[in-house]
Amino acid sequence: MTTTDQKTTEATAPTDSDVVLEVRDLSVTFPSDDGPLPAVREVSYVLRRGETLGIVGESGSGKSVTSMAIMGLLPKNARVEGSAKVLGQEVLGLKDAQISKVRGNRIAMIFQDPLTSLNPVYTVGYQISEAVLAHRKVGKKAAMDRALELLKLVGIPHPEQRIKQYPHELSGGMRQRVVIAIAMANEPDVIIADEPTTALDVTVQAQVLEALEAARRETGAAMVLITHDLGVVAGHVDRVGVMYGGRLVETGSVEDVFYRPRMPYALGLLGSLPRLDEERHERLTPIVGTPPSLLALPKGCAFAPRCPMARDICREEEPRLLTAAGGGERRPAVPEETGVHAAACHFSEELEGMGPGDLFKGMAADAATVEEAAEAEERAAEALEEVAEDAAQESAEKAAEEGAARSGKAGEVILTVQDLVKNFPIRSKGLLKRKIGEVQAVSGISLELRERETLALVGESGCGKSTTARLMLQLIKQTAGEVSYKGQALHTLSARQMRPLRRDLQLVFQDPFASLDPRMTVSDIVAEPMRIHGRNAKEARARVRELLDLVGLSPEHGSRYPHEFSGGQRQRIGIARALALNPKVLVLDEPVSALDVSIQAGVINLLEDLQEELGLSYLFVSHDLSVVKHIADRVAVMYLGKIVETGTTDQLFGAPAHPYTQALISAIPLPDPVKERTRERIVVTGDVPSPADPPSGCRFRTRCPKFAGVLSEAERTKCVEEPPELIDRGTGHRDACHYSEARELL
Amino acid sequence: MLVYTVRRVLSSIPILILASVLTFVLIDVSGDPLSDLRMQQPPPDPSVIQLAEERLYLDRSMPERYWLWMTGIGGHGDIGLLQGKFGPSTQSTTYDIGENLMMRLGTTLRLVGAAMVFAFGLAVIAGVVSAMRQYSKLDYSLTFIGFLALAMPVFWFAGIIQQAGVGFNELAGSMVFATIGDGQFQAQGLDFWGQIGNTFKYMTLPTIVLMLTSFASWSRYQRTSMLEVLNSDYVRLARAKGLPNRVVIRRHALRTALIPLTTVVAVGVAGVIDGAILTERVFQWRGLGEFFITAVEKNDSYALMAWLLLSGTMVIVANLIADLLYGVLDPRIRYE
Repeated sequence: MTTTDQKTTEATAPTDSDVVLEVRDLSVTFPSDDGPLPAVREVSYVLRRGETLGIVGESGSGKSVTSMAIMGLLPKNARVEGSAKVLGQEVLGLKDAQISKVRGNRIAMIFQDPLTSLNPVYTVGYQISEAVLAHRKVGKKAAMDRALELLKLVGIPHPEQRIKQYPHELSGGMRQRVVIAIAMANEPDVIIADEPTTALDVTVQAQVLEALEAARRETGAAMVLITHDLGVVAGHVDRVGVMYGGRLVETGSVEDVFYRPRMPYALGLLGSLPRLDEERHERLTPIVGTPPSLLALPKGCAFAPRCPMARDICREEEPRLLTAAGGGERRPAVPEETGVHAAACHFSEELEGMGPGDLFKGMAADAATVEEAAEAEERAAEALEEVAEDAAQESAEKAAEEGAARSGKAGEVILTVQDLVKNFPIRSKGLLKRKIGEVQAVSGISLELRERETLALVGESGCGKSTTARLMLQLIKQTAGEVSYKGQALHTLSARQMRPLRRDLQLVFQDPFASLDPRMTVSDIVAEPMRIHGRNAKEARARVRELLDLVGLSPEHGSRYPHEFSGGQRQRIGIARALALNPKVLVLDEPVSALDVSIQAGVINLLEDLQEELGLSYLFVSHDLSVVKHIADRVAVMYLGKIVETGTTDQLFGAPAHPYTQALISAIPLPDPVKERTRERIVVTGDVPSPADPPSGCRFRTRCPKFAGVLSEAERTKCVEEPPELIDRGTGHRDACHYSEARELL
Repeated sequence: MLVYTVRRVLSSIPILILASVLTFVLIDVSGDPLSDLRMQQPPPDPSVIQLAEERLYLDRSMPERYWLWMTGIGGHGDIGLLQGKFGPSTQSTTYDIGENLMMRLGTTLRLVGAAMVFAFGLAVIAGVVSAMRQYSKLDYSLTFIGFLALAMPVFWFAGIIQQAGVGFNELAGSMVFATIGDGQFQAQGLDFWGQIGNTFKYMTLPTIVLMLTSFASWSRYQRTSMLEVLNSDYVRLARAKGLPNRVVIRRHALRTALIPLTTVVAVGVAGVIDGAILTERVFQWRGLGEFFITAVEKNDSYALMAWLLLSGTMVIVANLIADLLYGVLDPRIRYE
């Protein structure tokens, strides 16, 4: 622990002229119909010039509210207490005339959603120059010049043209860079970035983070980076603060928090994260339960109901933020001592040398407390066993019939698509709605899904992966190509003929909030597929109870309505509904991307258990490569409607051959500070081209680092003229690149 | 933008033609223009009826009559929309529909125009104030007034306002507000300031009546749209830039919140014209409302057609203006 000691001594001699932002005992309370809602409780931190502080937490942890309070952007009914000083000047409670001199000038903010952050009726140039004019006595012309300069700084190509355009003419990544340009317009001392890349694709995320770094270098500002993505934090910040239930529960250098967490929640967060950089370990270790309701915060530690090591004192006395570094007496952490590792846990020292798996068991249940979870776990295990027995019996009979026992995990091919094409017409805006073009959402892809296998379809937004999934279920009709299930061609069937087969092919949706009818009880929701397929009501009721058990919910939950459940529980209800008809194939369309990290792990584990026991095949559609690496057996990477690379998970992640796959993998931030900062990067430039007018030849060439950097003129011609075929390079690992070469990236 | 305008204008022509066919058929089947004549006691000579039928072209079939009404080919020179003639009237042989219509159009446009301008202006102000002070006493008061105005039928409200005007005049001891007539006769021979005073005197009460319903619904609309914009991310970003509150409200919130209101106002024109008929009736203006009611009473089908065509055109033109304005206000739907 000598390193930590050194840091402590450094930090105890702070030069306070360097402090740009000082937050002390900041509390925010919102009035609500159910009583006061404490969104932020006694948060204190200090930020020095040039430093980056990461604030991590799940939704509802108060991380955004804290910074909105500092900016004075909260609604008027919010009660803000404590103090926040920017360069020594108190900013809380300032009048509009005074705070508007500070905002945008000394302290600037970047928001989450670039698509809604810019006013649609003004040009981007106007909106940037507006920020300049607000604080500087310069002419409009000078302000516009500055706007142009800023657009160049954040790396927007052709800034002279872009400056005259309206926000809707720019892609999401470019709009976020415009917002960054606005934030740095007056060279502020502090930039607060609130989930700046959450709404963006990974390759664009890498570009925007790059622009953010540029902004920081250029202005010398200190930065607060708020995010739920531990990977982004690992790569871009010096210090981390973990928030939970409105409080800072752990603070310290990024290495301390990532390698030596001293608060069970921080440890749990790290454990529940599927890792791209590690061998697939057996199970994720989710944190049971859900974040606490701020209206009914437990007495004592807010994390106690979810904490496996909680004891009586944890439920009685709320732990303070105490120093946690190596041995000795723990003392209250002082915000000025920025190098000190502090945690709000009564038993921090017990976590020394402990891994997430030691503390959290891989529980599948999504119960409210640890005890309930154990109970539900047991029930779910029993239910699984029962169902598995039935399934085993069935398959044993089948096996006897066929006279051959199945061996290995993946069985025979169950669902295939061949040369699948789907075009959506673009229509003119006139009265006649003439067809004036086509968007090729899916252009000629072939896939095979085997029994008991998870095939992942990955790609960025707009690559056609969800359309492919829907085509495979025949929810929409293809333009050309074939889909067959167990040798039967589905695309020739009528809706009526298709109906009995639908039992075997079921879907789980992305958004657990929109996919459940709010006016139906959970029982009705889960029973609906059985009702449609004419099962009798009594049988269906028994089956609903069994299913709820199976997905880790209590059967008593059946009479409740969806709004009474958390996101993770709702997704479990969605899974129960999909399982109601004993399907063979589940299509999972981004099933965990709307969930918080600690919840996501539980759902992933559940999916794995169900596959194991029920022998399901999964088509797993996702943009999250870490989750895919964890759960999938085989992976197909899509780009602009085509598959660019496919292989087993080990092949694809171990030695990706297509430049796009390589770029995708290298763009995923690793939740490991050292690895993240030292790894090799393959950077993609620009945005995904419009699928209405895809590039000739290889569709990826416009963004390809190889095309731009390595290839000779003659080699490039081939990329421009000849679309690459998906070719097997031996061992079933196929890629569609003329100049593919496998590289090890992890 | 020019191409878009031309296209929008052209595409409104088939709508107008379709509307004219529909109204022509509806009016034709809904009554016999000569029913009064036929019912006369003692019964008039059949030759008189035949003459009247010929004069009104009732001796021809409906499609023929439509064609005639549209083009005037084969008529007696008093019909043919494309020649600017609206057809014979039942009211008298010398009654010129077109001339009457134009005379009254000015009177009505004055009322409709004033009512719309005031309704729009006040609605925007009330909506913005309501939204900025959401859930305050002021907001609740404006909401109450809005719903009260929405709930009141125009004719009834017109009666109340008229009575109030009479009462006020009695109290003041002189005629501050005229409660009867459109004041066009009285305006003759007045100087500029006299004209202004006269206009104020005659127009105040009817304008209040006519604008109130529109004001109520538009202000509710403006409040909702303003609230939505005030909670938007770009207004938050504008604040985060350091713009003072009033600039944020004017430049970022109000400017964008006005866009949806243009459509609502354009669609509302039809309602205002309806209201104008009743208002003119109560205040005894000789405007299009009175023209319409007389035409209905006298079964004057060509006059009715002329009126419907004119009000239909006004609605379509208003929508066209709104569409074009939309293009100006919102760059996302601007056409190249």
